[in-house]
Amino acid sequence: MHLKRDPDAGSPGSAGRQPFQDVGALVQGFGQLNYVADRALATAVFLAVQLRKPLLIEGHAGLGKTEVAKVLASLLETTLIRLQCYEGLDVNSAVYEWNYQKQLLAIKIEEKSDLTVEEKERHIFSKEFLLERPLLQSILAETASPVLLIDEIDRADEAFEAFLLELLSDFQITVPEMGTIKARHIPYVILTSNSTRELSDALKRRCFYHWIDYPSLEKEMKIVSTHLPSMEADLRSDVVRFVHAVRQLDLAKPPGVAETLDCGQAVMSLGKHRLDEEVVEVTLGCLAKSMEDGQKIKDAGIRELLGNSE
Amino acid sequence: MEQQRAAYSTESVVAFCRFASANGLSGGLHRSLAALRAVKAVGSGDREALRFALRAALCCSKAEWDLFDGLFKAFEETSQRTPEAGPGRQKKTAEGSSQREAPRQHLLGYDAGDTKPETEGKTVVGASARERLATVDFSQVPQNDLARLEVLSLRLLRQMSLRLSRRLKSGYRPGPTDLRRTIRRNLAHGGEPIVLAWRNRRPRRNRLLIFLDVSGSMNAYSIFLLKFAYALEKHFRQVDTFLFSTSVVDVSDALRARRLSGALEKLSQLAAGWSAGTKIGASLHELNRVHSRKLRAGDTIFMILSDGWDTGAPEMLASELRAIRHRVRRVIWLNPLLGLADYEPVTRGMAAALPHIDVFAPAHNLESLLALERHL
Repeated sequence: MHLKRDPDAGSPGSAGRQPFQDVGALVQGFGQLNYVADRALATAVFLAVQLRKPLLIEGHAGLGKTEVAKVLASLLETTLIRLQCYEGLDVNSAVYEWNYQKQLLAIKIEEKSDLTVEEKERHIFSKEFLLERPLLQSILAETASPVLLIDEIDRADEAFEAFLLELLSDFQITVPEMGTIKARHIPYVILTSNSTRELSDALKRRCFYHWIDYPSLEKEMKIVSTHLPSMEADLRSDVVRFVHAVRQLDLAKPPGVAETLDCGQAVMSLGKHRLDEEVVEVTLGCLAKSMEDGQKIKDAGIRELLGNSE
Repeated sequence: MEQQRAAYSTESVVAFCRFASANGLSGGLHRSLAALRAVKAVGSGDREALRFALRAALCCSKAEWDLFDGLFKAFEETSQRTPEAGPGRQKKTAEGSSQREAPRQHLLGYDAGDTKPETEGKTVVGASARERLATVDFSQVPQNDLARLEVLSLRLLRQMSLRLSRRLKSGYRPGPTDLRRTIRRNLAHGGEPIVLAWRNRRPRRNRLLIFLDVSGSMNAYSIFLLKFAYALEKHFRQVDTFLFSTSVVDVSDALRARRLSGALEKLSQLAAGWSAGTKIGASLHELNRVHSRKLRAGDTIFMILSDGWDTGAPEMLASELRAIRHRVRRVIWLNPLLGLADYEPVTRGMAAALPHIDVFAPAHNLESLLALERHL
């Protein structure tokens, strides 16, 4: 409701028409692009696209948060613009920056020309010298609404979050030398967070929310078979069940789906057909990401974990 | 079917939003509108579609996400019992809140009438340390220490070491060049870069997390230390306080009351397990799991106030404390017993914890707290 513009205004015949009419179609679309989405996630994405509201996805690492944006972009056949947040991210590297070196050179070159000062100024502060960073790019999109992925927003500081709020409500950016730039096509915004810190209420209020949890056994089987189609069914079941047993342990970093896939890939490259104690031990690094976690898995007994899982 | 149809009407969606916000979800007109639009957008789907849409629109954190399904179910049940959702909902809400009140009062479990004037400002002497006191009455807390504590806390926090942020701002010491400002500054020289501007790292204050033991063995000190925490909270937002004995309670909000008496009154509403047993390891574990967002990497100083008498497994205490130390900037353990002349940290818990502590200091009176200045 904070979007005052009609999102499709001024873009007749653009790719703004969504290729999916309801949540079911979206689940299918994601499935065709090798992303196994449950209905809850599909509903959230569907709403975000339909109502043009940002979608905040939280969850542990390695569960496919970032992937949602990538898949959505290819489903909508539009570009994906990604802003990776990090500590110390500032407006200069997120929105725009003038190309100062080039400007200085241009000033030198134009010293001898008989352009007026105004003309020179206009030239130096023209688009040619503007370095577009992700947020500005997303607003300048020419033909269709891009998907803007703001990854790991919890890593940026509160000040940046406040700035983002402004952008997400108006979709316009002011460059003092050029004036205000308003989005022609309002981007679909997806934010992800590993929830290492609490986000501000104001930001959360503006978004739809989805929490990605570890997948159920069946869902993870489906994911593995989608991504590693050449894997034998027995081995797949072994790996997924083992990972599920490992997740029950109290690890500092429980393995995500990405780790399951890594592990499956590793076991396959070793030419094994079933998962046994020996194979697990050599591929333990795929699942346990610290010495302590590895030790915990060993202490729990790999045989027991494999046995438990049957 | 009739029921299901009814569940999609505007009134029932709004009724649900109000029900949800009365029972723990963050509500508001904004959220209700979002929910209505969401329900409209998914169209006339089934019950699941409605649930997913409402959940995406109304939740905004993992805690709310976990709460949602229960609320949704409860609401459905009530609206099924009483077809006209209005009064039924009201009743349910009232019931829910009174049910939540009841165990809290039960957990609180002490008789306010049975008070002893044991908590005077200077009762924190070693000999009384192991006296187990049956009741705690906050109203008996004298206020005379407070002014001194506040002065002290101000001094402490001013001294708190600054940490450099990774974000750059323009500065006066040589560093990476700030081209934007360099150009601006040299306009007078016709754009020739003669005076350079630099970018430096910006200082940022550390955050402080106070983890205060209120178990039986700490009775003599906990009120005094709580006042210390109150004084810190009062002046600085970046202080979080948790109480623990067998479980952990976040009391930061309660301590931010304007007056100490108000803060203590709020505290007595919280079931904090006063004078219960001590499970430091389990409490640290809970802190690590549930409140890990407060342990912000790099800029948090973790201050635990406890005598180290632990009834849990010392291995757990050691491993949890190590996990915390990995996350935070510094671990400070303040032990009131350290003020006793012949105290040796030989209890199993304390011995297990020692390798994972950066600063081990006494905290039995004001002077010992003043000495903290050096470590923050």
